[in-house]
Amino acid sequence: MMASLVSRDDEDTGFFAAERRRSAEHGSFLAHRRFYWAKVSGGLALFALLTYLLVDVEPRHNGGSWYGYTLGTIGLGLIVWLAWLGIRKRRPTPGSWSLKGWTSAHVWLGLSLVVIGTLHTGFQLGWNVHTLAWALMMLVIVTGVYGVTVYATLPARLSQNRREMTREQMVESLGMIDRQLEAAAQPLSREDTDHVIAALEQDVFSTGVLDRLRGPDRDDATRRALARISTGRAYDHDEDDIAQQKVRALLGRRAGQIDQIRRQMRTKAMLEIWLYFHVPLTIALLAALTAHVVSVFYYW
Amino acid sequence: MTFLIRTVDRTATGREIVRDRTATGDTLTIGRATTNDIVLPDLAVEQHHATVSVAERGRLHVKSGSDRTFLHDGRSLTETWFDPANGAELGFGSFEFDFSRADEDTILVTITQAEKEYGNRDAVRGFDLASALPGKRALAWIGLAAILLAFLAIPVWSNLARADRQAGADGPDQVAMDSSWSTGRLSEAHHALEQNCEACHVQPFVPVRDDTCLSCHKDIGDHARSDRLLAARGPMSAGDAVLWSVADAFGKQGPTACTTCHTEHEGSGRMLPARQQFCADCHDGMDARLADTRLANAHDFGKDHPQLRAQIHQTAGSARLTRVVIDGKAREDNGLRFPHDRHLSATNGVARMAGNLAQYGKPLECADCHRPTADRYGFLPVMMEDACESCHSLVYDKVGSTFRTLRHGDVAQMRADLVAMDRAPRSPIVEARRRPGEFGRGATYYQDFGRPTRSYIGTANALSKDGVCGECHLPTVKDGQQTVMPVFQRSGYFLNARFDHAAHGQEKCTGCHKATASRSARDLLLPGLASCRECHQGETAAKADVPSGCAMCHSYHPPNFRREEDEDGNAAVPDRIARTTRRRGVE
Repeated sequence: MMASLVSRDDEDTGFFAAERRRSAEHGSFLAHRRFYWAKVSGGLALFALLTYLLVDVEPRHNGGSWYGYTLGTIGLGLIVWLAWLGIRKRRPTPGSWSLKGWTSAHVWLGLSLVVIGTLHTGFQLGWNVHTLAWALMMLVIVTGVYGVTVYATLPARLSQNRREMTREQMVESLGMIDRQLEAAAQPLSREDTDHVIAALEQDVFSTGVLDRLRGPDRDDATRRALARISTGRAYDHDEDDIAQQKVRALLGRRAGQIDQIRRQMRTKAMLEIWLYFHVPLTIALLAALTAHVVSVFYYW
Repeated sequence: MTFLIRTVDRTATGREIVRDRTATGDTLTIGRATTNDIVLPDLAVEQHHATVSVAERGRLHVKSGSDRTFLHDGRSLTETWFDPANGAELGFGSFEFDFSRADEDTILVTITQAEKEYGNRDAVRGFDLASALPGKRALAWIGLAAILLAFLAIPVWSNLARADRQAGADGPDQVAMDSSWSTGRLSEAHHALEQNCEACHVQPFVPVRDDTCLSCHKDIGDHARSDRLLAARGPMSAGDAVLWSVADAFGKQGPTACTTCHTEHEGSGRMLPARQQFCADCHDGMDARLADTRLANAHDFGKDHPQLRAQIHQTAGSARLTRVVIDGKAREDNGLRFPHDRHLSATNGVARMAGNLAQYGKPLECADCHRPTADRYGFLPVMMEDACESCHSLVYDKVGSTFRTLRHGDVAQMRADLVAMDRAPRSPIVEARRRPGEFGRGATYYQDFGRPTRSYIGTANALSKDGVCGECHLPTVKDGQQTVMPVFQRSGYFLNARFDHAAHGQEKCTGCHKATASRSARDLLLPGLASCRECHQGETAAKADVPSGCAMCHSYHPPNFRREEDEDGNAAVPDRIARTTRRRGVE
């Protein structure tokens, strides 16, 4: 139906070309060029696996056989090229490859390294710099797989949680609640105000990595203040009651706002944490790889 | 008394807003509650925090309404006195009170509020994980430096800087951290070198050289001259040629280097023997490439292996060894007469005799005569005194209750014993019924001073084909004297292979050696190829009881073979290529 509505003239105006490009730009980098790099990577891994099974190496497969050296050279080239993404992404389109194509190749060829690198070891692992390089490579790949997974799944959660709020608005909202809370808590007793002060002094952002990953709904100063003022005085109709109700409501809003911020922080932490492993581990891998290659030829 | 209360607020831009008001009276209440003279909207302040009252001589008395403290010139107190003329600073929560005397009746109280910071103000960046973690770059540099230092700089530096460059140096002259470079455990034999990489890896960036191996393995022999090795191998395949040219470019020594076959760092345990294919590369169809070889082609024990050949004494009395094919027709002549079938029979006279002797108690078995060497690898020579004499007695006389025995192994001694036999009085060996007039005990007899003819006849009889010696030995005449053929016995028969009897301990002897059917000592009782192949097939024969590579019986390096450099280049074709490395037991 839709196709019939578009006349031949429209195609000539370049509308379709622009539309195609637009949709290509918004397509996943994984599916870039109809999974071209997935096919290349799969083919490479399959070829390595087949030759590994067919090539007869005496006395057994080993990184030091001609076949092992071949796989090692391919693996080394791949690793250096994959690490080059860190430089390539900072330089907008210096060559003919799009950054998206580059990223697609990065992910898929990186996965093929699991096969190539592992076959290069000949499954002879030990406590040495060679296995260190292999282990670092596997860790880099695992963190990379995690990264691709969270990039594919978590951004939706991020925008869901925001509920049309920007991060600035979340912070500003918390600030407004705090100001109101400070004013509203003035009539409260000493013990209650101590709790309110503790809640106000609580900095939702000054938390460590683990706390960020733990997310919302946790015992904190705000919830403790809320618990005290709710339960301690629930049926106590003294003159401060109106103030208490207001404080209670404000603390409840504060807890809600903190939870939203925490959810945002958790999702962001999950989205970002892998790079804190992926990047330093990659650099460590390059170091271990250097030591691996130099040591092999040093004790040739 | 009048208090002039001056409140100083700050706008967002930092401008000060000053408000003055006065309070008359001798006291001034301070607190969060709106009923106070000075209301402080700070949650840290009590509802009724403190009261300032005028004391004697113009001094002021400040007392806390509860046990909450306030600050007086930095000290935390609940009660204090001071003279406003000297000035004082009180602190309640985030508020600061500066007291001074404006005039005789007026005390100026200046109230300022310190900036309060609860956080969360400039916090958008706080959403990012970067605010909770050290930078990626710092982590990367640390990892990079640690790895390069530990696994590259330290080993290389300590390798280059050591003073004593001898292999096997200990302590400070050992290369540090280079065990992290080891790609795997060394084989059992090289275990002592595990921490001593530089013993083999002598020079940086130079592959392990043959010279390094031979500095310890001094006695190892070459398999053959290297030109013959190359001829036997034939031209390399195109792929191999490419690979070796690459290896050559990286400094490798070539296909005949020790390390080509003997790969190390393959894990602890015995170094693996060479695979069958390694031998077959040359020995399969070798006669086409090495026309003058005396070796038959072989590439798989089950499919292509020449018939076994044994080194035997083929001519009686000769020490010369002849190598014959074990084809069932070959005969040996070791100088003995010995029918195995008669001795191994379960029913005949031999069996009965053995059954009556305490040391056997039953018909003879192989092990009654054939004793293994200490390592159970081969067999010791059969000794007449241990194996034969209990039946084949050499007793020839009896003196009193003692039997006189001919000395075995010494013909001249035997002859002398027999000749001298009648020189002394003796009682007959056999108690037979006496005939009248023949011999009387205690009677007078003459001494025979003539030639001991009868003794000579006895000697001749003993050494004849049917005499006591001829029972087992082959009589012969040497230098005009009767004697027997010398006997040669061997512990091993193979020249280029080894056969371990201990490894075949589960088998019956007669399963391979057809001794029960052998009527002559000239039968060569060695089994041929077919017998081996009942269990042993080639290395790749999955269905065989024992898939067997070449290295199971053969060794590549003959220990007693001279090295190429010791040999003159034009030496004749060696009549053997390899010899067994393990020539154990007593020959």
